[in-house]
Amino acid sequence: MTNTAPSTADAHSAPGAGDFAARAHQIAKVYGRGDAQVVALDSVTVGIPRGRFTAIMGPSGSGKSTLMHCMAGLDSVDSGQVFIGGTELTGLKDKQLTRLRRDKIGFIFQAFNLVPTLTALENITLPMDIAGRKADRAWLDQVIDTVGLRPRLKHRPSELSGGQQQRVACARALASRPEIIFADEPTGNLDSRSGAEVLAFLRDSVRRMGQTIVMVTHDPSAAAYADQVLFLTDGQIVDTMTGPTAERVLERMKGFETGGRPAAAPGAPEPGVAAR
Amino acid sequence: MMGKVTRRNLAAHKIRLVLTAVAVILGVAFVAGTLIFTDSMNKQFDDLFSRVGKNVAVDVRAKKVVGGDDDGQAAQPVPASVLAALKGVDGVKDPQGNVNGYAAVVGRDGKIVGSGGQGPPQLGTNWNTIGSFDLKSGRAPHGPAEVIIDAETAKKGRLAIGDTVGVVSSGAAQRMRIVGLIDTGNLMGASVTAFDTPTAQKLLLKPGYYSDIEMSSSGPSETQLRDRVAKVLPDGVEAVTGTKMRDENKSDVAQIMGFFRTFLLVFALISIFVGAFIIFNTFSMLVAQRTRELALLRAIGAARPQVTRAVIGEAVAVGFVGSTLGLAAGAGLAALLQGQMGDAGSGGLTFTATPVIWSYVVGIVVTVVSAYFPARRAAKIPPVAAMRDDVALPQRTLRIRVALGSLLTLVGAGLIAAGLAGNGGNPAVPVGAGAFAVFIGVAMLAPVISVPVVKVLGWPFARLMGAPGRLARQNALRNPRRTAATAAALMIGLALITTVNVLGATMRASIDQQVDAQFGADYLVQATGGDITPDATQKIKAAPGVESASPTYEGTAKLAGDRGTYMSGDVGVIAKAARLKIVSGGTAIGADGLMVNESTAKDKGWHVGSTVPALFPDGKTEQLKVTGIFAKSDLIGGRIVSEQVYLRHTVRPSVDAVLVNAAKTDAATKTSIESALKAYPNLKVSDQSSLKKDARKQVDGFVTFLSILLAMSVIIAAVGVVNTLALSVIERTREIGLLRAIGISRRQLRRMIRIESIVIAVFGAVLGMGIGVAFGAALQNALKGQGLGVLAVPYGTLGVYLVVAAVIGVLAALWPAWRAGRMDVLKAISTE
Repeated sequence: MTNTAPSTADAHSAPGAGDFAARAHQIAKVYGRGDAQVVALDSVTVGIPRGRFTAIMGPSGSGKSTLMHCMAGLDSVDSGQVFIGGTELTGLKDKQLTRLRRDKIGFIFQAFNLVPTLTALENITLPMDIAGRKADRAWLDQVIDTVGLRPRLKHRPSELSGGQQQRVACARALASRPEIIFADEPTGNLDSRSGAEVLAFLRDSVRRMGQTIVMVTHDPSAAAYADQVLFLTDGQIVDTMTGPTAERVLERMKGFETGGRPAAAPGAPEPGVAAR
Repeated sequence: MMGKVTRRNLAAHKIRLVLTAVAVILGVAFVAGTLIFTDSMNKQFDDLFSRVGKNVAVDVRAKKVVGGDDDGQAAQPVPASVLAALKGVDGVKDPQGNVNGYAAVVGRDGKIVGSGGQGPPQLGTNWNTIGSFDLKSGRAPHGPAEVIIDAETAKKGRLAIGDTVGVVSSGAAQRMRIVGLIDTGNLMGASVTAFDTPTAQKLLLKPGYYSDIEMSSSGPSETQLRDRVAKVLPDGVEAVTGTKMRDENKSDVAQIMGFFRTFLLVFALISIFVGAFIIFNTFSMLVAQRTRELALLRAIGAARPQVTRAVIGEAVAVGFVGSTLGLAAGAGLAALLQGQMGDAGSGGLTFTATPVIWSYVVGIVVTVVSAYFPARRAAKIPPVAAMRDDVALPQRTLRIRVALGSLLTLVGAGLIAAGLAGNGGNPAVPVGAGAFAVFIGVAMLAPVISVPVVKVLGWPFARLMGAPGRLARQNALRNPRRTAATAAALMIGLALITTVNVLGATMRASIDQQVDAQFGADYLVQATGGDITPDATQKIKAAPGVESASPTYEGTAKLAGDRGTYMSGDVGVIAKAARLKIVSGGTAIGADGLMVNESTAKDKGWHVGSTVPALFPDGKTEQLKVTGIFAKSDLIGGRIVSEQVYLRHTVRPSVDAVLVNAAKTDAATKTSIESALKAYPNLKVSDQSSLKKDARKQVDGFVTFLSILLAMSVIIAAVGVVNTLALSVIERTREIGLLRAIGISRRQLRRMIRIESIVIAVFGAVLGMGIGVAFGAALQNALKGQGLGVLAVPYGTLGVYLVVAAVIGVLAALWPAWRAGRMDVLKAISTE
């Protein structure tokens, strides 16, 4: 199970180098003040390897969504640095951040993923439209065929099932060939069959098209589709798991819920602290 | 429980409610402002007229035989011999003959001080002790070269006691010395010039005559004295009590003010009507946004009426707050209006209970009625909606709306047609009701119309502005009812403004055409006040380049019982100057001749040779013979009477205009006539182009005035656009968050909202202009016979209004777009 997959430690030791699509270096995020203070991220350092499917898992309130938002440029960090490819996000103005999101990042959300007034096809090409760029026709066709939406392109979101909507969202995220795709509980609102379809599709796009995807989830069977799982608790990365299965992930998660928080040094976790 | 929900809701959605309230505030402000302003003006006039003639017990004056609006010139004077007779009546104290007429002070620049012609009147009078005014400084005038003027005019003309000024009444301006200043109090801008009685008679009336004779009583009551006085009066002269005289004065003014008030209230009503659309739309949107919350209330046991009541309760609260603020704003508006009136509006504001009551009634009733339908829809939300993720309110199909809207539009158009056809009664009522019905009808049809129109309007934006343009177009199409209701509010104001502009352009075009077709004289000399005396006519005749100058008169008479004005003078000249087409008979009118137009002749069954009884203001009846019948003329009117007849029945002939023919019509001739009339600053020389220009100026002034009044409703409609956009932005929070997440910039987002706003506003403008042109054409068609012969659509002006509508769209989008841009992306995405 321990293999040569780039681990989080590489990010720590060599910021600015390595084959990472996105990196976070000692980022911290605190919400509220005084008694109401919540440490969402506590000096997290993490690298998202290029061309891999990474899942971020953790119990509610572990900071997994915050981590994703911060890495995707949707939220700001209190300290530390975030990189997408070679670009540092921290310190960018809204305008530059927006541009970066538009050009380099794809998003898939849990719900309300599409613009209701636009057709499926228009939704897919929306980021390119916003940028004023022409879609790469061949690539677009490939993406559409992969998600199997060809007969539904003229439909509005309200005429599509939840699974189909999410596939449109996936296609939109892929169509502009972003550096990295962030998926926030993409299967949270779907039944298990539709969810499995979407996850398989995400995995395939990583394997076949070399896309980089980061997915936040709390569902162990969803995480099992990933190449690597990062476990987050109390704002810290406490574990990573390569080649996860649903059982192993579930097992690991149980450990958190019973309060058995592994003793990890504050800051970066030990490299290769794989479960067992 | 529901009361608490209502209160919490009000507290939770302050911005939405403020936006709704703004519509109420503006509408109510207009109503309250109108009422307070007219109340204040009424009070001022009342004060003024109870001061005027306050000591008068009995007034002796000429009987009104012909009736109608005697403007002082038409009124018959009272012979001075009556005054002597009155002195012998027991109980009569201090009888004073009044002489009233036109007199104005000529300033150092050779022009009349104050406004020459238009605006407040310039009154000339004789100075007597019973009069209404006090001498402020100086002394009473004596002799033909002394005058006293009101202090206000002296200030305006920078004149003082001892100065010698020109005074113009009839004839050339006379040099007179100012010997005193009159304290007139608040005369609303009118000027007063007073002379001693013989001078006044000579200048203003006719030696040996008075306008009327006022007296106080040495004991007997007004009615007793009146009866005693009546016994010594000759025919044609009557005595009335001072109370009656004062009441008549007051009621004249009250009538004018009443008309003015109604006029303003019509515009206030239009604003309220537009406001109702906004309120309706806002409450509809609020209910739609709160569907889940209301469904939850239903699910946990709230009855339908309770839900309705909760929404209506909010409406009452909004209406109350809006009315209160509107009332305050109305007082401000009234003060502003009064300030604008300059001299006329310096009497402060008068507050009565009426504006207060009406403000609350109008504000609350309109809000509640407008919120009623949304409230009922709220109650129809099924409880299960609370459990569903995305709920749409049950929407009835548009089919019923289309049917109902078409019906209403047709009924409205029918009413307008019937009203304009003029089948008895006041046409304003059916026409107004018809316009109202058309507005509601078209507003109901608007959702259907909006889809194709918005598609077309949005097309260039979608093509040129990329994704934001396309999204904006889709957003405008997304809820046709909402788009339509927002646009409909704008439609009303623009429809009325367009109507006014079409009518204005039509008037201008028609006047131009009339002048071209019917004005045959080279020049026309008219008085802006006072008379044109024979010496002035002589001066014109003598001016270099002038070939002939012929005076024309205007009089009033009852022809076979029908009161009306007539023209008189040299009929040959008049016929040529007006390019009269003689249908039968000729222009040889003789000593007792009468000419009428075709339609009058047809109505009355007169033909050349008919004898017509005519009653004149001097109380005498004469048989006139019809000597000619002419084709319709807008310049002449329907009747021409022989000059000899006119002079026979008129104590003081009053020249209406002098028709001038010249060898050449060029600037030099005009200047020559003008310099010949230098001593007559009250006379104005016009040629064809200046007649057109003056008429145009008047029409333009009127159009501008009405447009400004209507602009209020456009402002309210603009608030409606702000409202719709702001609520849409709130409603689409998550969508906006999503767009921001996938890379739409703030600028693009703002542009998207701005374009949606422009599209909605322009849609409303297009609808309104369509209706406005139709209204204008209908009115022109109905008034074809009254001088509106040519329909003209001012495309340029309408184009400007279209641009204005787009600008309103841009402005209305400012705040909602700013809000949308400021939204936190993360929060937006995770909003429920």
